[in-house]
Amino acid sequence: MTPDSGPPGPSSAPSAHCATVPPTKEPDPTERNVSSSNLKAGEDDRGHRAHRPWSARRIPAAMVASVVLVAAGAALIDVVAVRAGRPAAAWRRHLADELATRPVDDIWMLTGAAVAAAVGIWLLVLALTPGLRHWLPLCSPAPGLRACLDRDGAADLLRDAAMRVPGVSKARIRVRRHRVKARADVRFRDPHQVKDDLTAALGHERDQLALASPPRIVVRVRRRTH
Amino acid sequence: MTPRPVLNRSLLALAGLVLLGGGLLILFAGLDIYRRHDLVPPTGWPLTTPDDVLLGSADRARWSSQGWLWWPAVIAALALVALLALWWLLAQLRRRHPGALPVGGTPPQEGVELRDSALSDAIATEAGALPAVEHAAVRITGRPAHPRTRVALTLTPQASPGTVLDVLCEGPLQTARRSTGTPGMPTEVRLQVAGHKPHRAE
Repeated sequence: MTPDSGPPGPSSAPSAHCATVPPTKEPDPTERNVSSSNLKAGEDDRGHRAHRPWSARRIPAAMVASVVLVAAGAALIDVVAVRAGRPAAAWRRHLADELATRPVDDIWMLTGAAVAAAVGIWLLVLALTPGLRHWLPLCSPAPGLRACLDRDGAADLLRDAAMRVPGVSKARIRVRRHRVKARADVRFRDPHQVKDDLTAALGHERDQLALASPPRIVVRVRRRTH
Repeated sequence: MTPRPVLNRSLLALAGLVLLGGGLLILFAGLDIYRRHDLVPPTGWPLTTPDDVLLGSADRARWSSQGWLWWPAVIAALALVALLALWWLLAQLRRRHPGALPVGGTPPQEGVELRDSALSDAIATEAGALPAVEHAAVRITGRPAHPRTRVALTLTPQASPGTVLDVLCEGPLQTARRSTGTPGMPTEVRLQVAGHKPHRAE
């Protein structure tokens, strides 16, 4: 019933696993040199420390580009039409009138300004954060190789490991970036013993995942008799 | 990192700063924050009191009375912005493929080239035949001089990702490296696990 602060024994094992991988590549200096000359500096050290991949931010970029394109295109067409002697479009006259008559403490101006500021903050967050929170970086076996594992996939593998523990009838796993929460129903055996076994099994399976920053494991067990 | 993410993120940050700055400018004036907190905006500050409007009559008169050079300049600026936005949008929709990869080093005059689709098919076939791999999809992106490999693997529920990664590195990727002669092709591997129901594995 009480949250456990990680498995007792193998908690130091995953980092040791990560640390042992790069030295296996070190004794071959020619390959290192060739590869590092072809790689950018930032990519070479990913063989040692795996970072989360950075999203290309395609969709927000495409949306902002579309908005700018539509706005600039519409303004361009209307300006050219006015220069050619035609009257300005209704939307432009309407917009100019509204902007010229509404003071800035008008509720619509304030709402629009607040929305614009919020969207601006959101775009800044998108620009400055890595994104791809759904992908957990893995220890890379070679320089130039980056790997990551889907969070749901990690949860499925951990759930299978939990289900293999005798006494567990049902297991729900939530994988977050720094913590794995496991909740299990115990049908038989002593719950404390099942919990110890479960913690050990999940710790072992977590090491099998080869995550670059192994999450803490929190196990909760509940007795379910029927 | 390829230049495109950097470009995307810089432009997104620029758009965010413009929106945030404009919004805050209106909010500060509209909520009368300058007067309430005894702040003195610098001279020439566009909006200072709640009675200000965004498009004052003085502004409109000034714009209308500009010389003949003003409107062509506006048209040129708008056209430039629209073209840049169109190019930025198309850059998101297009995925860059190297087409043909030079085999055995850089000099292309040797004439030995490998289609990127052939290479990705070969890697995908070999990776898909690995134990514990259910499905493999490979894409080669980037320019011919700097190709990049993206491998998406779907693992079976019995797989161990660390082992699969090692085997993938020793097997298909090693073969690809050897056959193209480019030793350090940057590779990104994404692992997923085939969805399945929980069951008691005995």
